[in-house]
Amino acid sequence: MVAFIVRRLWQAALVMLVMSLLVFLGVFVIGNPVDVLISPDATQDIRNRVIAQYGLDLPIWQQYLHFASNLLHGDLGRSFVYNMPVSQLIASRFPATMELAVIAVLLASLIGIPLGIYAGYKPESWTAKVIMALSILGFSVPTFWIGLMLIMVFAVQLGIMPAGGRGETISVFGVPLSFLTFDGMRHLILPAVNLSLFKMSMMIRLAASGTREVMLTDTIKFARAAGIHEWTILRRHVLRLISIPLVTVFGLELGSTIAFAVVTETIYSWPGLGKLIIDSITSLDRPVMVAYLMLVSLMFITINLIVDLAYAVLDPRMRHGGGK
Amino acid sequence: MTAPLLEVTDLCTYFEARTGTVKSVDGISLHLEKGEILGLVGESGSGKSITGFSLIGLIDKPGRIVSGSIKLDGRELVGLSEPELRKIRGRDIAMVFQDPMMTLNPVLTVLDQMTLALQAHERISDADARLRAVEALRKVRIVDPEQKVDFYPHQFSGGMRQRVAIAIALLHRPKIVIADEPTTALDVSVQAEILVEVKSLVAELGISMIWISHDLATVASISKRIAVMKAGKIVETGLASEVLRTPSHPYTQSLLDALPSRSKPGQRLGAGANDIDGESAARPIAAAMADPSFVAMDGLVKVFEQKRGFWARLGERSGLLKSKKPVLAVENVDLTIAKGEALGLVGESGSGKSTLGRIVCGIYQPTEGRITLNNSPVMSAGPQPRKLTTNVQMIFQDPFASLDPRRTIGQSIAEGPIAHGLTSKAEARSYVAEWLKAVSLDPAFADRYPHQFSGGQRQRIAIARALAMRPDVIVCDEPVASLDVSIQAQILNLLLQLRKELGLTLLFISHDLSVVRHLCDRVAVMYRGKIIEVGTAEEIFDAPQEAYTRALLNAIPKLA
Amino acid sequence: MTLSVEKARTSSDFWAEFARHPVAVIAAVILLVVIVLAVFAPLIAPQDPYDLSSLVMRDARRAPGYIGTAGYTHILGTDSQGRDLFSAILYGLRISLEMGLLAGAIAFSIGALVGCTAAYVGGRFEALVMRLVDLQLSFPAILLAFVVAALLGQGKGQLIVALVFSQYAYFVRTAHGAAAVERNKDYVEAALSVPMSGWFVVTRHILPNALPPLIVVATVQVASAISLEATLSFLGVGLPPTEPSLGMLISGGFQYLLSGRYWISIYPGVALIILIMAINLVGDQVRSQLNPRLKR
Repeated sequence: MVAFIVRRLWQAALVMLVMSLLVFLGVFVIGNPVDVLISPDATQDIRNRVIAQYGLDLPIWQQYLHFASNLLHGDLGRSFVYNMPVSQLIASRFPATMELAVIAVLLASLIGIPLGIYAGYKPESWTAKVIMALSILGFSVPTFWIGLMLIMVFAVQLGIMPAGGRGETISVFGVPLSFLTFDGMRHLILPAVNLSLFKMSMMIRLAASGTREVMLTDTIKFARAAGIHEWTILRRHVLRLISIPLVTVFGLELGSTIAFAVVTETIYSWPGLGKLIIDSITSLDRPVMVAYLMLVSLMFITINLIVDLAYAVLDPRMRHGGGK
Repeated sequence: MTAPLLEVTDLCTYFEARTGTVKSVDGISLHLEKGEILGLVGESGSGKSITGFSLIGLIDKPGRIVSGSIKLDGRELVGLSEPELRKIRGRDIAMVFQDPMMTLNPVLTVLDQMTLALQAHERISDADARLRAVEALRKVRIVDPEQKVDFYPHQFSGGMRQRVAIAIALLHRPKIVIADEPTTALDVSVQAEILVEVKSLVAELGISMIWISHDLATVASISKRIAVMKAGKIVETGLASEVLRTPSHPYTQSLLDALPSRSKPGQRLGAGANDIDGESAARPIAAAMADPSFVAMDGLVKVFEQKRGFWARLGERSGLLKSKKPVLAVENVDLTIAKGEALGLVGESGSGKSTLGRIVCGIYQPTEGRITLNNSPVMSAGPQPRKLTTNVQMIFQDPFASLDPRRTIGQSIAEGPIAHGLTSKAEARSYVAEWLKAVSLDPAFADRYPHQFSGGQRQRIAIARALAMRPDVIVCDEPVASLDVSIQAQILNLLLQLRKELGLTLLFISHDLSVVRHLCDRVAVMYRGKIIEVGTAEEIFDAPQEAYTRALLNAIPKLA
Repeated sequence: MTLSVEKARTSSDFWAEFARHPVAVIAAVILLVVIVLAVFAPLIAPQDPYDLSSLVMRDARRAPGYIGTAGYTHILGTDSQGRDLFSAILYGLRISLEMGLLAGAIAFSIGALVGCTAAYVGGRFEALVMRLVDLQLSFPAILLAFVVAALLGQGKGQLIVALVFSQYAYFVRTAHGAAAVERNKDYVEAALSVPMSGWFVVTRHILPNALPPLIVVATVQVASAISLEATLSFLGVGLPPTEPSLGMLISGGFQYLLSGRYWISIYPGVALIILIMAINLVGDQVRSQLNPRLKR
């Protein structure tokens, strides 16, 4: 087990190294930040000074080393546009995105998994067919469009929900959170539902196909032959057996939800990371882009690591290193 | 005279399919006395398993019991509601299945699974459940039950897992245990132990049992009375000793005739009405073998490196991780096969016999050592090994997996001969037809796909494919292990006949000693990667030198 | 021992089974109709949305049923540039299908080739390829597509590169998984023991048998490529504004949504959903027919 953790940490470090290289190169090859930093009518002298100040005249490998060592010291540079440290900028936006993503994934799991298990348990029933049809609809409808529709219905036509913004927040340990106030909750609900619909459909389908396959196994037949109640079989046998793939998905979806938030945040003017990255791409704000990508990489690697560990905890076959 | 514990009369279980009604169980009647073990024998598709599931009311849709009666202690079970049936399942009638790998839940401990089974019928505290679970494990002779009760299924071996499954079935001391092929997935030596223990458990607890199996010998060794099933009907019932000695139904007789253990080695087996015509095959005389080391294995070693990723290897080199042990599948094997000889390779699962077969056939490259055919190497050396000869071909165990499902059998048979110039594309049709005829199949079959054939037919096709390469040597890896006895007899007859006609050299790999004895001149016994004993069939079977060989022979269930 | 229950059913069996599911059949018919409409858009559409000279500002943002300057009825209304929405949607479906199918086909080819080869060759090549793919798969497709599209700028070619880059890994993994299963089956060992050449075994045995799961993934990926294209265009990093992409049309109607001019955003969205949903429904049926584990 210790060896396993050490190995995974070691891998994670290497992956981060590779990612930092890729991100740096990728961002380096596009656009010239000098054009953003300096007005076109500046003199050549000012131009050269700015270039030297940002170290843009150095060879690319030196720039990378500089960048990497700053990164290790937690220095992500200054935003060209906002003219403030990127770390501060991101720290101010991160909680909003995190709150949105966590609530969306919770919604998706708490509603999606039970519906999926039901649909997999009684695949021939009408309810199951309706659930499965809705889930196909759910992942066929593009997130951005359903976002617009929710605004149109609930904000424009019915006027019961705000169309955008974050609303009133309460600070918990210095982190502003929306879901603790009534107004914040009202602002949170539409974007959270919007963000969760796609994930919910995926959860439904995964839980349904997992349950359907598990129900056909001899394990379930054996449990039935022992006279165990169907409800107990579902709760103790089936849920445990399908939980392993579901946990993986839960973790990965949390990550991808944060990425997907780009769309939802744009539509609902949610002041999170997604809006920040869109703005920074359109304004070629290179440090923000790099920092965002590095942060997302770090997040995904951490999530993958946690998922792998959860796997080992949930699946005894992995824990004991035996079997297949 | 009191009524029997279980009385089944005219039971019919049908499956309504789109293509029509399948009468899986078609009017069977049987009875079971207290303390009795009834053996239920039949080939695949005979309805014996569906009978077992009918008794506990667990028929998968679209199947259902359409008529008949099942009386347990005088109480009618047919027509009971699901909750009432659930009260009976596990408490009055319990069931054990074939594959313990599949029946136990891999992510729950044995204790969890036993607790769930206990709580299904009684209110019991966790502490008491633990005591009961430990007691149940002790009863099936699991050593150290206090610790083992917290194990997960994968921490037990196959035989131990089946014991755990039996322990779960016995938790409530049911009146009847239905055992559906409970030892089929196990090695013979493990099977022998379980048979002995089940017998003594039944006597000790005073329970009754229905033992369902395809194997006449195991059934005969555990039960006093047997019933033979065919196509949903019971064709014969009676005391095991009498049924085996003087079967009254021709089907039972044909089953017995198909068993290699009941006929002389090399003799043609009775293979039922569908058998192909052919003259009586006789074993070639060993003296005719001119070249004693036609196939020579010289110091063969095969090591399987554990699959490791790039990072893991980096971790090992940097000393951060312990390296995984490579698996030694074949350890220093020296063996020869004479031209025209049939060498049997026997051993239990995991002994390395299949790996050795694949090395001989040039599928795996040996880690060390040499394999030569007629003094020339079978494989080239070096990091990118290539098979050099077409003179060794192979027949695999699973006829469903050994033919490409997306190619017609004609294409499958012809591809090798075309690639190696044995025939041309233009003449491929007649070439294929010739070999299909050689294995007694209709040449018109060439345009069909594998799924249109039965298991026995597919195995013939696989043999035709191997023969079409005109090999000198054929490696047979358990070619009859997944077939019913009557089909097995047909394939064995075919192999014997082909051997005689074509002068083939055979390496015949099997776990089934009676089949090996029937077919082979010499036998090599393999255990944990090593050949521990080689000798003529008579030597090995009549006067085995090694203790392991003796144990293996003793473990075979004998027909009365 | 596991018996392979997979059956190589003939294609007529396959369609007979397919025909028994009314929902799937309806979806297939709708899909066909959409494809026909998209292909023949220049013949059906009353207006060519690329022809800027035919646009009249006076006709902009008119409700469905408005009879425009050119004398025909705008059955779905007009957008903010005065384009006939019905025509723009037909051309938009054309773009969606073009992008989705092209990206899907390229990603499919790369994936099938790389995945099968990796499974067959094994060793370091396999380890390296699968590492890369796993790494890439841990990032969501939308993020990759978004970043690549943003880096490359607007344009059809750039968008296809972005879509392929974000999707090929799914094909590689699926092809590798399916091929690795087939690689270890007896019939491949039988062919190798003949011996047949590696190329023959990969192209004649492994690839055809690894195709069914790839086809299923392909339907899902084409649908998701279409959705991605619309999303990227909506966010402004996809196609240039001159293209009547469905995402672009919806994005253009966003600002008028609050003032009640719903049709500009809604109708392109409905068209998009019908297309994606039809593909997914057909794909879902194909998947359940190809999954041997759900068969009894």
